[in-house]
Amino acid sequence: MRYKEKEIKKGIKIHEIQTNKFKTNLIAVFLSMPITKENVTKNSLLLAVLRRGSKNMPTQEQMSQEMEEMYGASFDCGLDKTGDNHILKFYLESINDSFIPQPDENMLKTSIDKLLEIIFNPLVENDSFKEEYVKQEKENVKRIIEGKPDNKARYAFDRCIEEMYKDKPYGLYKYGYIEDLEQITAQELYNYYKDMISKCKIDIFVSGDINQSTSIVEQNEDIQKLQEREPNYKVNRVESKEVVQENEVIEEMDVTQGKLTIGLDLHLENEEQKYDTILYNAILGGTANSKMFQEVREKASLAYTASSSYVRYKSNIFIKCGIEIKNYEKAMEIIRKQLEDMKNGVFTDEDIENAKKGIISGIKAIDDEQDTEITYFFGQELTDTKTSLDEYMEKIQNVTKENIIKVANSVTVNTVYFLKDNSSAKEEN
Amino acid sequence: MQIIENSKVKEKVYVEKLENGLTVMIIPKKGVQKKYVIWGTNYGSNDSKFIVPGEEQETEVPKGVAHFLEHKMFEQENGVNSLDALTALGVEANAYTTNDHTAYLFECTENFYPALDELMDYVQNPYFTDENVEKEKGIIGQEIMMYDDYPDWRVYLNTLEAMYHEHPVKLDITGTIETISKIDKDVLYKCYNTFYNPSNMAMVVCGDFEPEQLLEEIKKRLIPKEANGEIKRIYPEEKADIVKDKVEQAMDVSQPLFTIGIKDKVADTKERVRKHIAVEILLNMIIGKSSKLYKELYEDALLFVTPSLDYEFARGYAHILITGQSPEPEKVYEKFKQRVAEMKNSSIDSKEFNRIKKRIYGGYVKEYNDTADIARMFLADFFKEINSFDYLEEMTTINEQYVEQVLKEVFDDKKMIISVIKKA
Repeated sequence: MRYKEKEIKKGIKIHEIQTNKFKTNLIAVFLSMPITKENVTKNSLLLAVLRRGSKNMPTQEQMSQEMEEMYGASFDCGLDKTGDNHILKFYLESINDSFIPQPDENMLKTSIDKLLEIIFNPLVENDSFKEEYVKQEKENVKRIIEGKPDNKARYAFDRCIEEMYKDKPYGLYKYGYIEDLEQITAQELYNYYKDMISKCKIDIFVSGDINQSTSIVEQNEDIQKLQEREPNYKVNRVESKEVVQENEVIEEMDVTQGKLTIGLDLHLENEEQKYDTILYNAILGGTANSKMFQEVREKASLAYTASSSYVRYKSNIFIKCGIEIKNYEKAMEIIRKQLEDMKNGVFTDEDIENAKKGIISGIKAIDDEQDTEITYFFGQELTDTKTSLDEYMEKIQNVTKENIIKVANSVTVNTVYFLKDNSSAKEEN
Repeated sequence: MQIIENSKVKEKVYVEKLENGLTVMIIPKKGVQKKYVIWGTNYGSNDSKFIVPGEEQETEVPKGVAHFLEHKMFEQENGVNSLDALTALGVEANAYTTNDHTAYLFECTENFYPALDELMDYVQNPYFTDENVEKEKGIIGQEIMMYDDYPDWRVYLNTLEAMYHEHPVKLDITGTIETISKIDKDVLYKCYNTFYNPSNMAMVVCGDFEPEQLLEEIKKRLIPKEANGEIKRIYPEEKADIVKDKVEQAMDVSQPLFTIGIKDKVADTKERVRKHIAVEILLNMIIGKSSKLYKELYEDALLFVTPSLDYEFARGYAHILITGQSPEPEKVYEKFKQRVAEMKNSSIDSKEFNRIKKRIYGGYVKEYNDTADIARMFLADFFKEINSFDYLEEMTTINEQYVEQVLKEVFDDKKMIISVIKKA
């Protein structure tokens, strides 16, 4: 694997990952900007409209047909909330030339050009997006927003974040809000697009057995039209947090199993503590050996899922369990005990070594998956750090028990969110 | 070892059937860090009635034993839980149960052989006690309840219930709280001894290996066991027709979910791959992303994303599943049936046919990117008596005529059902 990056204009970077491990080339474009209440819904709608058609592929049908002709190239797009940034993500994956029955085609160039066209050369009519598409996609986005409660575990997680970050950028729902959606016109959306595309940070990744991909991108007309910019994204760094009073939120919905999410705040002092936190999280709830899995699921037999995940961009850990509704108090008691045990260093050197092995194994496998590798380098980009995979492993290796205990003692419970069923209150009475 | 090579994806599989009956398949991947091993038994949730080799009478066990066994295999007599032991080695271990097979696996970059020791040790040494069996009922009970909350799982199970009269594929893989309550250690041992015999199992490994050397390492870790005779599996007689053409359930969803099911009959071993490819081509032509019908449904706000298109088959069953979300599933269903009728009355559009073929071919090539995907695919296909490379090879033999024939045979109105999860 060979990684190189090049800033072709201020605010626009090409990242080339040369690897021969795959049958495919993967191209990814990320547009990054601060997430705001004003723009979150526009971005969501914009993404939906862009995938409907571009100047040279004006219908979805045509777009799909062209992708099919390219041996099933797959186009995909999505939205991410990464720290206080909103990221519009676009991907195109296509078969590498050497696995195509007629290998004279230049699949890589076609793939790059097609993806860039969808993003930077949209279908425009009378200096506006196509009315019909905007109208239809508003309905589509509305359904996505309304569909938020469909996945109950995910919903409990999203609600917990909203409670923790009320009126703050990170508390925003990445797909936006229905009340804002109604008002957006095709014209406004197009004006917003032009403004956004001239200011956002642009990162273009090309991964695969690729030659000359940087020059293909540089020579692309859509890229040449772009102006340099002072990208206004937020660099994700450890920030200080206030210690807040613990908040308990219990809501009801039609569920058979209770969904519990606990949001923890980490009060870290520096960037290096992120590595200590990765270990803290692994021991707390990151693996099948973790305290959560062992104590809540295996020993108390209270849950099928019991885990924790670390959101490093916001210095939070979220504990998630699916439990029987009547066991809420019991589960909370066991979980609090685990947090205390972590503070008091009730874990062994062996626990640490095992956790390290798992994490390092994960790091080693990063370059075995194209999208994971791209995500890793993009994460570096957004935190403005340059940690190679080798350095990353070394930092994990160097974490000590004292480091982990220090992180444990910086942990405070911010919010306990529990989603239970509508009828359980009656049963208890 | 027998070597099967595929020039299209430039991969090789090394196959060996050992004396004890175990089949080992190794797919070497040079330069890749990730190593993946999966060990499966040809035994899934459907196999609850059978004749143990050497016995005369039938054995019938409660639904959910295969899955229960999967959970319990990790527990060792010395108190060690093998899942923990594997995690401690820094490898990612897991297991799963399907309708037709159960598999134990791990993925790693380091410690492959110590982890292989553990995997092969726990799969060959069951340890069930009254106490540990009872405890597991709580965990599996939670798992069953978790699935009850998934509308996509409910819409799937309801589809099967509408299609199948008797075949156990219609039952939940986990069993129910009631059926698992009847499971005890004797039942588990009986099923273990019957189905976890090497002659009923296969192991697939993918990663940067020297195949012959790896095979020796695997052999060393096998405890002596003789191949047992044929296990006679008893499935109830399944009628060709469906149970009911419509099934509905209300749940807390923002938008109705639906699955259109088409009941099919199982193809001969030789024909399975070709039929599978033809069905995939047809589904894409009928309602895939570039189809006329999808465009229409999208513009009428009846569909917002392409439905997922699947063809599932194993011992004694085969069916098509088209799953999506729509404000009016019934309308989607009507239009789908209309489109099928239209296509039956005209000939296949060659341009479209060739384009879809390219797309599907590309999809097959992509399956060879990841060691985990490759190993899982070879194992699942093996239990269906298929060599995964056949999909790449048979592709070229599929012509329009054959696809037209499959369209007429399989897409039969009388075999179609719709399952809907409507808003509560």
